[in-house]
Amino acid sequence: MKIKYLPHTADIRMKIEGSSFKEILAAGVLGMANILKDGACNSKGIMNLKVEVAIEAADKTCLMIDLLSDVLSHSYTSKGIFCEIYFNELSDNNAIAVVQGYRTNGFDEEIKAVTYHEAQVVMNKDNRWETIIIFDI
Amino acid sequence: MKIRKEDIIRIEDFLWEIPQAFNSRMRVPARVLASEELLEAIMEDRSLVQLVNVASLPGIQMASLVMPDVHEGYGFPIGGVAATEFPGGVISPGGIGYDINCGVRLLTSSQKISNIKDKLEMLSQELNKEIPSGMGKGGTIHLEPEDLDEVLRKGAAWAVEQGYGELEDLAYTESNGCLEEADPALVSDMAKKRGADQLGTIGSGNHFVEVDYIEEIFDQDAAKALGLSDGQVVILIHTGSRGLGHQVATDYIREIMKTMPGYGIQVPDRELACVPFNSEVGKDYFKAMCASANYAWCNRQIVSWEARTAWKNIFGKEAALKLMYDVAHNIAKVESHRVNGSLIKVIVHRKGATRAFGPGFEELPEKYKFVGQPVIIPGSMGTCSYVMVGTDKSSELTFGSCCHGAGRRLSRTAAKKLVNAPVLKQKLREKGIYVEAGSFKGIAEEAPIAYKDVNQVVGTVCASGVAKKVAKLRPVAVIKG
Repeated sequence: MKIKYLPHTADIRMKIEGSSFKEILAAGVLGMANILKDGACNSKGIMNLKVEVAIEAADKTCLMIDLLSDVLSHSYTSKGIFCEIYFNELSDNNAIAVVQGYRTNGFDEEIKAVTYHEAQVVMNKDNRWETIIIFDI
Repeated sequence: MKIRKEDIIRIEDFLWEIPQAFNSRMRVPARVLASEELLEAIMEDRSLVQLVNVASLPGIQMASLVMPDVHEGYGFPIGGVAATEFPGGVISPGGIGYDINCGVRLLTSSQKISNIKDKLEMLSQELNKEIPSGMGKGGTIHLEPEDLDEVLRKGAAWAVEQGYGELEDLAYTESNGCLEEADPALVSDMAKKRGADQLGTIGSGNHFVEVDYIEEIFDQDAAKALGLSDGQVVILIHTGSRGLGHQVATDYIREIMKTMPGYGIQVPDRELACVPFNSEVGKDYFKAMCASANYAWCNRQIVSWEARTAWKNIFGKEAALKLMYDVAHNIAKVESHRVNGSLIKVIVHRKGATRAFGPGFEELPEKYKFVGQPVIIPGSMGTCSYVMVGTDKSSELTFGSCCHGAGRRLSRTAAKKLVNAPVLKQKLREKGIYVEAGSFKGIAEEAPIAYKDVNQVVGTVCASGVAKKVAKLRPVAVIKG
């Protein structure tokens, strides 16, 4: 998977790429964790925080954004960083998954929201899935 | 879509228009309140493309508008105003933003800067101690569910009832600190969970508490009415509805995106998702937005109490801070405005724009009625801020709105690359400004270089006639998340 942070006047623009839809969803979770706390998932510590997320959405793009929004909400309510995602079910418009991470004393950045603006989950010319995600900061 | 200078026509000295004919989706023209120099700077990001997209909303009236502090957002530009027909036009949560009722308030003291210079460092440390700030941080108040519902219903009045302020504060708050349409039952459990421990916190990003002094008075009569005088020390507070508001916006944008196709509405950007105001989901969102706005007013009221506590700790129990005014800059309101010669009700979406009503507005406290509604414009850290008053012309030109700040011009990444935060902190200290911040990263991201020149922005809105300058504030201490 590839995660790149691109310029945006006020917010954070992230580009993610993966060999499968599952892989860019995982890239989204990891990329968001790195915004919340830089390098938060670099060392494999004790991942003792687990939350189940279940999403139904109109399409792949909405599924991606809605899933990240739910993970973000859980980050705030459980005061934790989620680094990994494991899927029990995944289709174009449905996901049941467990996100795993650890509790933290604080974040480097407060993300207000994961937005749909510019998000478009598509297959690129190299047959890899990609999308842009804008985070409201 | 590419917008070139040739696509824009000047219709007044400081008002520019992209005609409706520019794009087939536009239902009204798109207008920019700016000097020519600011317009050219605005054209450097995607603000105007976003403004043109907003002009396509069903039921939009007169024009989609941006103020001179505009910058690219996510869907709607930041610094924008869109008024839609009431009640059949649309309401769009993206036109309010995720930080519902983000806003500013100004507290005034009886101290002059010359008398307290030796206490400023202590004051900034005390404010930093009393006011919780930072990323995802909770405060000292932990609300039970029934208390949180009362906050969502009553807004700032809840805080006053609990002893966090004076009854008089409510009269000096936009909408008296409460939107009566609020319905806590329409706020999700997740949003309530996020809001349970965040009252009295400022958060991070561009939110702050700042100590300033009045450096210059432009209008003596208005300043006197607002209780402002030369050299006076004041406190500026900028924060919003915290995680609760962010979650309400997230929940309803998701819901509205699902129901929007049922109304035959298509939008050029998913973040413009909208439904008719009088639809079930439209009404539900508005009531939840009002509840979030009430939370934000309650939050700023409690932050004021924390600032007052810090102030008393330094200057003694009798030292008081009075609320001059509190204004929202991310909100939707049903208001009456003149459109094509007729007075009609419209749903005014302000996203990074301040209400700027002129003299005579009945909601204003008696003392302010002849000067107009106070407008508080925070500049960037280390530059200056302004107090202005609204005018009748704002109702004609901008649905009673004006700018909300200096407006970003550099991305956070660019600012971090350009700014050495420890050096900046030291330089500000040498200029007499104490900075208390959670991180150097936060200082770099909010450095003055990252913002437009607030003098130019304020100069433009005043030259256009939508507001009048009253006083210029100079910072001496900044507390940031």
